[in-house]
Amino acid sequence: MVKTETQRNGNFYLKKVYKRKLGGSLEFTTARLAYQVTFILALFLATQVVKNGVVSPIMAAVTGVFAVEFLIQFFVAKRIQKEIIGGDGEISNRTRKFGYILLLFVITGNFLAFIAGAMLVKREKNLEYQLSIYSLLVTIFILLVSALNLFKEYIVETFWLGMGLYGLYAILNFGIVLAVNKYTFGKKPDKKFMPFAVICLLGIALGNVFSFVLGLIAIGKYRNKNEEVSVEWIDVIQRLFRNYTAVIGMFLVAFFVAVSIGSNLTFDYDLAVSNNFMTRLAEPSLAYPFGCDDYGRCVFTRIIFGASISLIIGMISTIVPIIFGGIVGAMAGYYGGKADNTIMRVIDVLNAVPSILLAIAIIAAFGVSTTNLILALSVSSIPAYARTVRAQVLGISNQEFVEAAKACGAKNGTIIFKHIIPNSLAPIIVQATMGIGSAVLSTSSLSYLGIGVEAHIPEWGNVLKAGSTFLETNPYIAIYPGLAIIIIVLAFNFFGDGLRDALDPKLK
Amino acid sequence: MKKKKFSDTFARMYRNPQYRICLWIFGFFTMLVTYFTFKSKKGKDAFAKLQKELKQEYMRQGLHEKFYEDALLQVKKKNEYFKKTISEDAAEKEARAIAERNLKHFVHDKAKEKAEMESVSELTMASCYGKLMENPVFMIFSFILSFPMYILMVLYIRPIAKYATERLFLMIFVLFGVTWLVFTILYIAPMDAATNILGQTATQEQIDTFNRVYGLDQSYFTQLFSWFKNLLTFNLGNSYQGNESVAVALMAKFPVTLMVTFWSMLVALIISVPAGIISAIKPYSTFDYVAMFLALLGLSIPNFWLGLMLILQFSIKLGWLPATFQLGNAMTLIMPAIVVGTGMSASIARMTRSSMLEVKNSDYILTARAKGLVEKKVVLKHILGNAMIPIITMVGMSFSNLMGGAAVTEKVFNINGIGSYIVDKQFVPDIPVVLAGVVYISFIVSIMNLLIDIIYALIDPRIKAKMKNY
Repeated sequence: MVKTETQRNGNFYLKKVYKRKLGGSLEFTTARLAYQVTFILALFLATQVVKNGVVSPIMAAVTGVFAVEFLIQFFVAKRIQKEIIGGDGEISNRTRKFGYILLLFVITGNFLAFIAGAMLVKREKNLEYQLSIYSLLVTIFILLVSALNLFKEYIVETFWLGMGLYGLYAILNFGIVLAVNKYTFGKKPDKKFMPFAVICLLGIALGNVFSFVLGLIAIGKYRNKNEEVSVEWIDVIQRLFRNYTAVIGMFLVAFFVAVSIGSNLTFDYDLAVSNNFMTRLAEPSLAYPFGCDDYGRCVFTRIIFGASISLIIGMISTIVPIIFGGIVGAMAGYYGGKADNTIMRVIDVLNAVPSILLAIAIIAAFGVSTTNLILALSVSSIPAYARTVRAQVLGISNQEFVEAAKACGAKNGTIIFKHIIPNSLAPIIVQATMGIGSAVLSTSSLSYLGIGVEAHIPEWGNVLKAGSTFLETNPYIAIYPGLAIIIIVLAFNFFGDGLRDALDPKLK
Repeated sequence: MKKKKFSDTFARMYRNPQYRICLWIFGFFTMLVTYFTFKSKKGKDAFAKLQKELKQEYMRQGLHEKFYEDALLQVKKKNEYFKKTISEDAAEKEARAIAERNLKHFVHDKAKEKAEMESVSELTMASCYGKLMENPVFMIFSFILSFPMYILMVLYIRPIAKYATERLFLMIFVLFGVTWLVFTILYIAPMDAATNILGQTATQEQIDTFNRVYGLDQSYFTQLFSWFKNLLTFNLGNSYQGNESVAVALMAKFPVTLMVTFWSMLVALIISVPAGIISAIKPYSTFDYVAMFLALLGLSIPNFWLGLMLILQFSIKLGWLPATFQLGNAMTLIMPAIVVGTGMSASIARMTRSSMLEVKNSDYILTARAKGLVEKKVVLKHILGNAMIPIITMVGMSFSNLMGGAAVTEKVFNINGIGSYIVDKQFVPDIPVVLAGVVYISFIVSIMNLLIDIIYALIDPRIKAKMKNY
C-alpha cells in the first residue's frame, strides 16, 4: 500500500519533470503542434473526399499527401521526445537531419512543419535565427499563394515581374539566414552583418515585418555600448518569441500585411471587382480555389484584396482613438480635479452608448462610406482608450520619479511626454493589438449590415454578404471570407495575448 | 426614539449642501416653518446666552487684545517673507479681522465644552426641526405636505438605496448627454430625411411641408429640448417612413431583444463559468489549453458568420431547427441564443480563469484547505466567491456589447428586434427611431451597470462596509 503510494508520487513528479523538459524544448513544442494541426487538417480533408457520392481524385491526393506528412511529423516528434526524456537530454545529429524533410513540407502550405524543421536542424537558435526563418517563411508563402494564379486562364501582366522579384527576395532571405548563422552570436553581431541588417530594414517596403524587426535588433544590439546591460525592447521581443502561439499570431499578421502589398503585382484586381457571367457561381476549383460569387468574381482574389482594406481600416480606426483618447485620458489623469471630472463625464456619456450603436448612428447621419466608417469606429472606441490611459497615468503620476522630475523644474508637457507616457505604454500596446482585431470584426459586421464599406469594394464583410444569399446552394462563398476574418482576428488576439505576457513586468 | 431618528437624519442631510437643496425642494413647507422658528429663536436660546457671557468675560480678561497682537505679528512676518509692503492701516485691518474670527471660534469651542457639561444644546436647524416634530399637529401636517422629503429620508438612511438614488439622479444627466450627442450628430448630418423620403423630384414646397410637419424647421435648441422632453414622456410621434407610432413599435420590439439577450446571457453563463473554473483548477492541462483556445476562437468568430454556419448546418442540411425567428416558438430561439451566447462566453471564461488563478494562491485559500474543507467548498465558496468581482464586471460589459451588437444577429435570424429596427430606419435617417432606440438602449445599459454596482455590494463585504459609511 505504502509502496504504491510512493510509486505513484514518484511517477507524478517524474511526469512533471518530463513535461517541463519537453515544454522547454523548442524542437519538441513546434514539432508537436505541427503534427497535431496536420492531423486535424488531414481528417477534415478526408471528409471532403467523397462529395455527393463522387470521389474527387484531387482531394484524395491532397488528403494522402497530408496523411503522409502527418506520419513523418509524428515519427519525428516521438523521436525527439524519446531523446529528450531518455539519455542525456540532447537531440542527436541523426534526428536533426530529419528537419530537412520537414522543411520541404512548406510546398504544401504546411508552415508549422517548416518552422518545426527549421528549429530542429539548428542546435543553437538565437532570436536572429528565428526571425530570419520567419522572414523567409513569409516570402515563401507569398510566392506559394501567388503561384495559385498559374491555374487561371490568364495571368496579370505584372505577374512574372512580381514572381521574379519575390523569388529574388526569397533567395536574399535565404542568404540572410546563412549570414545570421555565420555572423550573429553572443551579445553583439559581427560588423560584417551590418549590410545585411540594412537590407533587412528595407524588407518593410514589402510588408515583411519579421525582416524589419531583425534589422532593428541587429542594429540595436550593435549600437548598444554597454554589453553587460541588454536593451529593454529586445528583451521584450525575446520573451515574446518564447511564446509559440504568439509568434504564430505574429506570423499570420505579417503574412496578411505582406500579402496586401504583394498582391498588387501578382493578382488581378479585375477578377475581384468586374463581372464575369461565364464563371457565375462557379464551384471551387484549381483556377478559382474558393469558387466565384453571383457576379462571377473570384472569391479567392477578393479575399486577398480584402486583406489590405480590412487591415488599413483596422489600423487607422485604432490609431486615431489612441491619439485622441490618449491625450484626453492623460490630461484627465495628470491634472485631476475639475479637468478630470469634466472629461470623465463626457467619456461617461460616450460610454453609455454601446459602441456599435454609436457607429450606426454616426453612419446614419453621414452616409455609408469608408471614411465615415473609420470616423464611426474611432469615435466609438475613444472611451475605452481614454479610460485605460487615465488609469495608467493616475497610477504613475503619483510615483517618485514624476515627483523628482517636478522637483527638478520640468514642465508639465515634458513630464507627460517624457516620463509618464513611455511608462504607461504597455497596456495600451496590448489593447491596441487586440483593438485592431475587433475593429476588423466591427468593420465586417457593419459591412454585412450594408452600412460599412461601400458595397462594390471587396471588403471581407461585403464578400460574405454576397454569399449569405446563396447559402443554400453555394455555401463556400460565405464560408471562406468568414474563415479569413477568423484567422486574422485570432492572429491579432494571439499576438496581443503574447505581448501582454511579454510586457508584464511581473514575468520578467 | 423614532422622532430622534428623524431629526438625526435631518441633521445629516442638512450638512450636505446638495441634500440641503433637495430638502428645500422636496419639503418646502416643513423647511419654511423650521427656518422661521430657527430665525426667531436664534440668539435667544440658552446656548447663545452662554456664548455671550463667555465672550464678555474674555473681553474683560483682555483676550481679544492678545489675539489682535498675535495676528498683527503674523501679518507683518508674512509680508516680510513674501517681500511685500503694505500700509500700516491695511495690516491692522487684516489683523483685526483675523483676531475677530479667532476669538469667535475660541468662544464657540469653549461654549460648546461648557454646554456639554451643563447639558444645554446648541440651536441649529436640525434641533429646531426635532423640537417641532414633537408637536403632533406639525408632524401630521409635515408628513402630508412634504411627503417627498420623507421618502428621500427613508432612502437616505439605507446606504444601498441612497447610492442607487444618487446614481439614478446622475443618470438623467448622462441620458441628456446621450440625447444631445446623438441628436447633434443627426442634426449636423448632410443626410436629408425629407429628400430621402419624398424622392429627388420633390418640390421645395413639399420639402418645407415635410420639415414643418416633423418640426425639422425649428432651431437647434428648440428641437433638442423638445426631444429630451418627448423622450422623458415617451411621446415620440410617428416615424418618417411608414408613418407608424414610434412608441408603439419600440414597445413591441424591446421585449423581443430583451428576451434574446436574456437567453444568450444564460447560455453564456452556463458555458463560460464552469469552463473557466475547470481551467483555473487545472491550469496548463489539456482541458485548459483546449478551452482557452476555444475561448479565443469564440472572441474571433464574427457573430453573423457563426449564425450563417449554424443555419447552413442545422436548418438547411439537417432541417432540425427553423432558420428564422418566430415569436412564441422556443425552438427558433435556440440558434440566436447560442450564437450570441458563445461569443459572450469567451470573454467571461477567460476572465473567470484569470481572476480565479489570482485568488487561488492566496493565504486564505491555504487556510481553508488547512481547515480540512472539502475541495468543492474551497473552490466554489472561497476561490470563486473571492474572484467574483471581475467576472461580474465582465458580464456587465458584455451586456453592453450584447445590446449594441444585437443588430447583427437580429438581421441574420430575421428577428424583429430593436437593433434591426434601427438599422432598417437609419438609411433615411429616421431621427425619431434612431434617437429613441439609441437613448433607450443606453438607458437599459446604464440601469444594468447600476445593478451590477449594487451586486458588488451584495457579494463583497468589503464594498458593503465601504458603502455603509457612504
